[in-house]
Amino acid sequence: MKVKLATNILEANDRIAAENRKIFKDAGVFVINVMSGPGAGKTSLLERTIQELTGKIRIAVIEGDIAGSDDALRIEKLNTPVVQINTGGGCHLDANMIREVMDDFPLKDLDLLIIENVGNLVCPAEFNLGEDMKVMLLSIAEGHDKPLKYPLMFQESSALVLNKIDLLPYTDVDIEKMRKDSLSLNPKLKIFEVSCKTGKGISEWTDWLKSLVK
Amino acid sequence: MHEVSIAQSLIEIAIDNCIKQGYKGIEVIRVKIGKASGVVSDSLLFAFEAMKAGTIAEKAVLIVDEIPVSGFCNSCKMTFTVEEKYVLSCPKCGGVSFRLDTGRELNIDEMEVF
Repeated sequence: MKVKLATNILEANDRIAAENRKIFKDAGVFVINVMSGPGAGKTSLLERTIQELTGKIRIAVIEGDIAGSDDALRIEKLNTPVVQINTGGGCHLDANMIREVMDDFPLKDLDLLIIENVGNLVCPAEFNLGEDMKVMLLSIAEGHDKPLKYPLMFQESSALVLNKIDLLPYTDVDIEKMRKDSLSLNPKLKIFEVSCKTGKGISEWTDWLKSLVK
Repeated sequence: MHEVSIAQSLIEIAIDNCIKQGYKGIEVIRVKIGKASGVVSDSLLFAFEAMKAGTIAEKAVLIVDEIPVSGFCNSCKMTFTVEEKYVLSCPKCGGVSFRLDTGRELNIDEMEVF
């Protein structure tokens, strides 16, 4: 006996993500989902962002990692509320994991919730969490071939932060090709060039982010 | 390996529907996976074999229909289909204004039950 289903496989995740989105909207908190490969500098970008915006807007962080709480400890040092999610081997966060920890924050007292996804350039792009915006980070040392090798994340993101530009003199990376291919995949992508080490470009990024937070 | 999550979701959807409609087990599940969906078919098949054990889908065969990336060019008004998992410009005229019609599917299409 044949049974027609014609259902999106991620329907259950998308349903929970839609509920999360409504809860965040009702509480008046803007949510970003930060994605990148391992070591691109997600936690460093969060540290710089928090330092720049402290006293201007109220921020909290959800840290997603396969194991450990090193990243959460770095955020805690900045007196910022943080919850660590360990996926126990899972390569991405999903909407239900966010649902389970969101009550740990006083959402109504926040302006911006930053979710740092598991370091992975492929899988996180597929799973909506209920965020207002996906932001991806790519360090220039990863090479200019990455947009065309991992197109989905570039297509799903609203902003691309190119990190480690202080390393430009030491690499053969073609940053113009990186920009051009990224924009071809996603013409609406907003691109920032930063160095989390020196602080260059950070204020352009945080000014833009702050302008989106009501 | 997000294919494990995808395999788990598709097995849950199939089993839910099978039980709701009063059937005992699943023989075949057919899915449509777009080439630009980010899912690797071989990994999905591998994960499916591991996840179906001990369920009413344990004898089920997973059939993956890969859907190519296709679209319509706003410049030359022609439809196109490509081998790659992305499109940067119309393969016929080089125009950069186009609409993508297929390639992002991640659907459980139908199943055979008993």
